[in-house]
Amino acid sequence: MKRVALFVVLLAGAVVSIGPYVMTLNSAAKTPRDVLTTDAWQPAMPPTFANFATVWSEYDMSGFLLHTLIYAGAVTAGQVVFATMAAYAFARMAFPGRDLLFWSYLATMMVPQLVTMVPLFLIMRELGLIDTYAGLILPSIFVMPFGMPYGIFLVRQYFRTIPRDLEAAARVDGAGTWAVLVRIMIPLSRPILATLATITFIQAWNNLIWPLVITNSRRTQVLTVGIAALQGQFASQYHIVLAAAALALLPLVVVFLLFQRHIVRSIALTGLK
Amino acid sequence: MKPMRTTTVLIAAVVVALAAGCGGSDDSGGSSSGGTVTLRYAMWDEVQKPPIERSLAEFAKRHPSIKVSIELNAWENYWSKLQTQLAGGKAPDVFWNHVSYFPRFSEQNVLTDLTPDINADKLDTSIYDPKLANVWKVEGKTYGLPKDWDTIGLFYSTKALQDTGMTPADLADLSWNPVDGGTFVKALQRLTVDAHGNHPTEAGFDAKKVKRYGIALQAPTGQQHWWNFALQNGCRLQDRAFGRWTIDQPACVQAIQFVQDLFQKYQVAVPASVTNPPNGPSLDQVVGRGQAATAMEGSWMLRAFNTALPKGGFGVADLPAGPVGKGSVYNGLSEAIYAGTKHKKEAWELVKWLASPESQRIITEAGTVWPGISGLNDTFVRAWKAKGVDVTGFQKAAAGTTMSFPLTKSSSVYVEKSLDIFNQVWLGKLTPRQAATRINTESNNAIQ
Amino acid sequence: MDPHLRGLAPGGQGRRGRRIRTVVEAYGLIAPSLIGLVLFLVAPIFGVFALSLFDWDLIGTPEFAGLANYRELAGDDEARRAVVTTIYFVLLNIPAQTVLALLLAVALNRRLRGGKVLRVLYVLPWMAMPVALGIIWTWLFDPRYGAINRLLGLVGVGGPEWLSSSTWALPVLASVNIWQYTGYTMLILLAGLQAVPRQLQDAAEIDGATPIQRFFKITLPLLRPSMFFVLVTNTIGSFQMFDTVFVMTQGGPAGSTNTLNFHIYRQAFRLFRAGYASSLAVVLFVLILLVSVAQVLYFRRRTVYDFS
Repeated sequence: MKRVALFVVLLAGAVVSIGPYVMTLNSAAKTPRDVLTTDAWQPAMPPTFANFATVWSEYDMSGFLLHTLIYAGAVTAGQVVFATMAAYAFARMAFPGRDLLFWSYLATMMVPQLVTMVPLFLIMRELGLIDTYAGLILPSIFVMPFGMPYGIFLVRQYFRTIPRDLEAAARVDGAGTWAVLVRIMIPLSRPILATLATITFIQAWNNLIWPLVITNSRRTQVLTVGIAALQGQFASQYHIVLAAAALALLPLVVVFLLFQRHIVRSIALTGLK
Repeated sequence: MKPMRTTTVLIAAVVVALAAGCGGSDDSGGSSSGGTVTLRYAMWDEVQKPPIERSLAEFAKRHPSIKVSIELNAWENYWSKLQTQLAGGKAPDVFWNHVSYFPRFSEQNVLTDLTPDINADKLDTSIYDPKLANVWKVEGKTYGLPKDWDTIGLFYSTKALQDTGMTPADLADLSWNPVDGGTFVKALQRLTVDAHGNHPTEAGFDAKKVKRYGIALQAPTGQQHWWNFALQNGCRLQDRAFGRWTIDQPACVQAIQFVQDLFQKYQVAVPASVTNPPNGPSLDQVVGRGQAATAMEGSWMLRAFNTALPKGGFGVADLPAGPVGKGSVYNGLSEAIYAGTKHKKEAWELVKWLASPESQRIITEAGTVWPGISGLNDTFVRAWKAKGVDVTGFQKAAAGTTMSFPLTKSSSVYVEKSLDIFNQVWLGKLTPRQAATRINTESNNAIQ
Repeated sequence: MDPHLRGLAPGGQGRRGRRIRTVVEAYGLIAPSLIGLVLFLVAPIFGVFALSLFDWDLIGTPEFAGLANYRELAGDDEARRAVVTTIYFVLLNIPAQTVLALLLAVALNRRLRGGKVLRVLYVLPWMAMPVALGIIWTWLFDPRYGAINRLLGLVGVGGPEWLSSSTWALPVLASVNIWQYTGYTMLILLAGLQAVPRQLQDAAEIDGATPIQRFFKITLPLLRPSMFFVLVTNTIGSFQMFDTVFVMTQGGPAGSTNTLNFHIYRQAFRLFRAGYASSLAVVLFVLILLVSVAQVLYFRRRTVYDFS
């Protein structure tokens, strides 16, 4: 009996967790009138895709999505590659200043993005990178919530679980550091790299502050900036903004469900170590 | 393992995308390739975009080597974005300019003086209303040519009037006063009705279940509501051009009080919790949904109302008269050329075109905004007559007593502070005096 | 000796050569991230301290202002309120989120059927775009058209005007945050729970400890490392909340959601007071530093927290 009650409570929690997603998708498929007059949980009858079509073509969601893919993709690639390199050095190599550097890396995780925004904007201005993809992407590779230090930490912990014998054998065969990293460590670390890639992708996809400050033309407008502007312009015209929000969320829900096993495990891992 | 393959593909795709993306970013900003120049042109009004695109198509015929790319940012983001662009040294070549930010821009030297070009091309500037043209002149320099003008009117839903047994004539010649609200408030009380058909003046009126309110009010700065009442009450927002703010003067506070009364005392306005920015719907939506019978709005909203309401569904009445008479806020925009543009010659061609009778005729015929060229006002009237709406009231207002946006360098402070503070006044959480004093002090402190 | 540290051992020419090569290689591997972090994070941190001593609209010439920005800050009611609001937000957020997550974790630790599916569902909000959530929750909390007040209406309660109310707006923002991060927190705590050795629990049970005693005497102390991680990262995270404020309230009503983060943004990119915004950023930086250090000290007292 107690078990049943517990289960019911847990189930209710799950409903609260996914309810907003479901209601958003449901209401975005309603006519402008029905969004206002019917309850959010009342099914869209019949569902319409007109709102999605409107935001997709008229309000340039297709463009936002493309720009966000470029942005999040590039940031992910950069972070995974650079984090893996640094992680190997921190996990396996002896060099002066290693521990101090590693701790300094970790300490930078607590610096809020907004603290550095103005100077960073000025640095980008000096580099002539305002409103360019390079200006959008480069700093994001290193500074985001769950940025580079987190990635290095995650991969380093994983590298340390890999037996050294494998490396030693390769070294005896004459493999250099780079060869060991690429041929032995990386193939053995696929799950953690996939996880890091996913988490970084999610962070970049969701990032608002930096794109808001550094980009300003249509060519570089990403989803977060784009739909925030839509919300400002079409406040309370829920059929439009909900369709836009749903389109911004859906790709990630899919990514998440595909990789959920790894993500769930890696989140658990971060807390343990 | 599957995730790894996916990751590899992902990273590969990304590297390609990055290469493409970075390559593509090279031509951001005004650029020239193969003799063709692309100008960036920034604006904030979605509604005006289609007719402007039509005008730009004509421009392209005349100047095949100049391409124009429109950058649209809604008013809420426009100024923050534009100023960030100016700070970043990457502003659009041509952008819409507004009186409230103009003094700061001219001081920051981010605008191009058009006088040499006007003289070189022997442009006839007498076609513009001097009232509009003179705004953009500072110390012998001209920073813009009039794009349009606007005044404020009382938009009404014809259905709401019919349901109440009123005619448009009942909204003409209304007047208000700070004591009992006058005939204006009486008309709005008639138009306000609860679920049981009671009006606010009747016993049993249920303020919690109002079916339709008499009026909807929303104005981030005050332009569409209290500034008009202020003018009609003899209040001046500043002591002189580039002077100090004076909105804490009794005549001004009284006007703010009157708007608060419409919300709180008379209960004829759609509650501020609904209409307050940033989450409040635009007023064409509020009237379109039947929540309000009328709305005070600017003439630039005509097309929005035309879309939100069925054909013949709305009309425009004059603003009421106040203790010192009639009056409306009068304002106009211009197109500015960024001082840092790499294509000054082409930008001037665009600005010259947009200020030309040919272009303004195309835009005026669409009925989006009143034209900067006085001779085209009749075209605007005819365009709306064809849609069954009499818009001559805006013209009358412009010819009468008007008030312009204050000329000051502290607009961004006023705008940034007043939104949240006035929201509280309309909610009844702050007295008009407290609000006026606070904003007046902070805005004046920002003037150096 | 640890074989990979062999390079450090004293030895002949060959060894020293290898050692130097290792160092060079190591720094080569670290170089990209190091350069990136220095250029995009460390330099801007120094930059923000420097900028805070100037008066600058980012366009004209910067004017040295000494400590004028800090003096203004000391007398700025709005800034003081922003600090209080930020702390209030953290307090609304962290305890509720942590307790809720802990309860869920304890429940799910019982290896229920369907536990794995539930876990995924709980974590689903974590990856959602906060901007999109801002839009969605603005709608859900809409007094007239939103699901929350309609649900309350079903049980006969008239809900408040959430986002228009200076009392409710911040709790609404906090609830969005709690909704988003409880599942994530739960997952970390759950992993911590699963690492608690079963034998300890059993031993305590034999000694006659009640489940509640066991929880407070055994489970919770052993959960310290996870708890530390969760509290530090979530606290820093909620100090940084920006997106939902930007979308849902713009700092209003009556400044009730004007967090320090948003206040800095407004000063920097709406009013273009780069110097003053930087002095506020310094305050935020110091505030987070203090909170982090306090938390580390608190947890260090009884836990040796091993990052290596």
